[in-house]
Amino acid sequence: MATKTKVAAKRAPLETLREADETLRLPAITPPVTYPLETLVPEVRHQTPAVGQRATRPDGRLHGLGQTRYIDDLAFPGMLYAKIKRAGVASARIRSIDTREAEAMPGVMAVLTGREIPVNSFGPSLKDQPVLADDRVFHAGDGVAAVAAVTEQIALEALDRIKVEYEPLPAVFDPLEAMKDDAPKVHAPNGNIYATKVIRKGDIDKGFAASDHIFEGRFRTQMVEHAPLEPHATIAMWDPNGRVTIHSTLGRITLGRADVARTLKLPINRIRIVATIVGGNFGGKNEITQEPVLALLSKKTGRPVKGTFTRTEEFIATTTRHPIIMDYKTGVSKDGRILARKVRLVLDGGAYCSWSETTLGKACILSAGPYKIDNLHTEAYVVYTNKTMTGAMRGFGAPQVCFAYESHMDDIAAALNLDPLDIRLLNAFEEGSPSPTGQVLHSVVVKDSLLQAAQRFGWKEPRS
Amino acid sequence: MKRRGRGIACMWYPIGFTVSANPSAAVVKINEDGTATLLTGTVETGQGSLTILGQIAAEELGIATDDVHVVSADTDATPMDTGAIASRTTYVTGNATRLAAEKAKLILFEVAAPMLGVKPDQIEARDRKIQVKGYPQRNLAIGEVANHAQVVMGQPPIGAASFNPATVALDPETGQGKPFSTYVYATQIAEVDVDDETGEVEVLRIVAAHDCGTAINPMLVEGQIEGGISMGIGFALQEEILFDDAGRQINPNLTNYIMPTSLDMPEIEVDIVKSFDPTGPFGAKGVGEPTAVPTAAAILNAIRDAVGVRITSLPATPEKVLAAIKAKRAQQPKRIAAG
Repeated sequence: MATKTKVAAKRAPLETLREADETLRLPAITPPVTYPLETLVPEVRHQTPAVGQRATRPDGRLHGLGQTRYIDDLAFPGMLYAKIKRAGVASARIRSIDTREAEAMPGVMAVLTGREIPVNSFGPSLKDQPVLADDRVFHAGDGVAAVAAVTEQIALEALDRIKVEYEPLPAVFDPLEAMKDDAPKVHAPNGNIYATKVIRKGDIDKGFAASDHIFEGRFRTQMVEHAPLEPHATIAMWDPNGRVTIHSTLGRITLGRADVARTLKLPINRIRIVATIVGGNFGGKNEITQEPVLALLSKKTGRPVKGTFTRTEEFIATTTRHPIIMDYKTGVSKDGRILARKVRLVLDGGAYCSWSETTLGKACILSAGPYKIDNLHTEAYVVYTNKTMTGAMRGFGAPQVCFAYESHMDDIAAALNLDPLDIRLLNAFEEGSPSPTGQVLHSVVVKDSLLQAAQRFGWKEPRS
Repeated sequence: MKRRGRGIACMWYPIGFTVSANPSAAVVKINEDGTATLLTGTVETGQGSLTILGQIAAEELGIATDDVHVVSADTDATPMDTGAIASRTTYVTGNATRLAAEKAKLILFEVAAPMLGVKPDQIEARDRKIQVKGYPQRNLAIGEVANHAQVVMGQPPIGAASFNPATVALDPETGQGKPFSTYVYATQIAEVDVDDETGEVEVLRIVAAHDCGTAINPMLVEGQIEGGISMGIGFALQEEILFDDAGRQINPNLTNYIMPTSLDMPEIEVDIVKSFDPTGPFGAKGVGEPTAVPTAAAILNAIRDAVGVRITSLPATPEKVLAAIKAKRAQQPKRIAAG
């Protein structure tokens, strides 16, 4: 059946296009609804002083009425639909990309490969990520070519007609393996450890020597996805003045504009980025993804071009949370005071740096926990692997290290027969405590939060 | 049999990010009728930042939340912003917003001073009025002053400002320095049931006490905490991207990558811890990310409390929990025999 349809498509492209349009495409614009235009503003929004009010959100009304226009709700005359071909192999050299068959398809308006991108690299700190892989594939979700077509379906079919020849290269997936000298280098000639961080305070040898008990533990976390309701979506429009307007689901438009300008080799003032309302970010929309690709497809075709990631692309082609391997060693006194702590963190950085340096820094600084520890040594490494890139995600490494230091804390409390609440109160920061980096902390309320939560929970009440 | 357990976890978290400067700028324009427009380059991503920033501008101008319209996220129209990242919007963009509103307000004070017969520094803005400090009976409607400023005096009340948190670069050898301007603190306590025959964990209740400095909008703080907890539950028990031997994801879809739904949500009780940060706008710090930080730790400690096993790798799937329970049972008879 499928073959028959394809044969028919060649014979009667117009009919097929119409059929595709009518049967497969959802309407691009939400059907009109009736709602009162005279807005009832809740009293709380009219009250002064404004701070402290449980004021309702002006965007909440639009969400509730289904009137918020997300990128995928927008349509412009003549708009095309873009799709990106994903490598599907984790580590390879690209021998050739043959786009001829795709370009000849009716309904396909343009095809783009990495070699056509003026500056084919980007990244918030290290510029180690290609917009579209041109010479080398670093992870299976890398884009290798893009298509703009009159319908999404034609664009998808065109992806299948693009022939890419790969030469497989050695790959490494385990971060501890990747740290070894003989491991395959993800970004040769550079080593796989691409950033390190060390915090040293006091004298840990003395601290451990003075300790009554020493506890050790290794903790690991997994890779997770932000999974926002709205996937990454972009519309790019190249205008006759050589300005490009990009509607995009970006949480950081200022940085996004600079990145787009760099990749397209355009002055910043020729780029306009509009983010409108974004349907969830959680750190996953803090850098550009397909924006330069769509801009160039729009330049090639003279038409607006829209690209919306599928849920699968959200997983394989956008950033994720860093898996971390966390080794803790803690020396405590008989009564449960932490005298020394050594922490070693290995972050799985995936194929590209993205926001790893920030994540590494935060994880390293926070890994000792909100506790007064005079003797501390923390070292953290982030390493390349041929996996989906890891980047910013709600907490920048903090949920991972909190899982480790708080699990470790309860293990210590259990061994010393201490109440988990009490051992925390004994060690917690106070106003003016120095942080691991020697910063004098202000407005410190960790003990207040412990006591308030314990009070509400009924922690000290007898257990049934 | 279901066994009940409870676990506690506390955390600290910085506001803003390190590595480079992270400034924000803002523009506040007071209209002729005393309402105002705020221009910000930050992005509303569902967290409610535009509402919070509007409240901050309104507070500085002495007007109500609804009096401020917020224009955001258009690089042609709005000033630079480091973005909706690192729990920095309320603190950094909030400070820039407050400073911009203050500048616009000072133009109103200059215009109002001769109208009220006092010096500009004797004036305050409250309840939609420009009034003499300590003598509120002498006042003018803010709209009257704003209109006078623009139409009569030719001084449109517009203020622009930026803010960048004060930090000290870290020493590369020792890591000593001041990477962040301020931190928030929080505790979450989880109560769970663990089925010791299946390894299944059900989170029954989470008590969350979070510090965010001044809560600019307590309702939105509660919303952030509830959302963060749902993310923390997924991290603790369900979510995991899996790869095959060739480095390809095997569950890149919402059918096989399991996330919490409303049915997985426990009862959540939220406390906002009283706190005031003098460096934040009206004492505020932030709350976005920290809400997702201690949840997994609290749940894993509750599992240990319930069935006595320490799961050291996330997520604590039923398979993993059951295997740990079985391993523990296998060890117990030996101990009795040895003892």
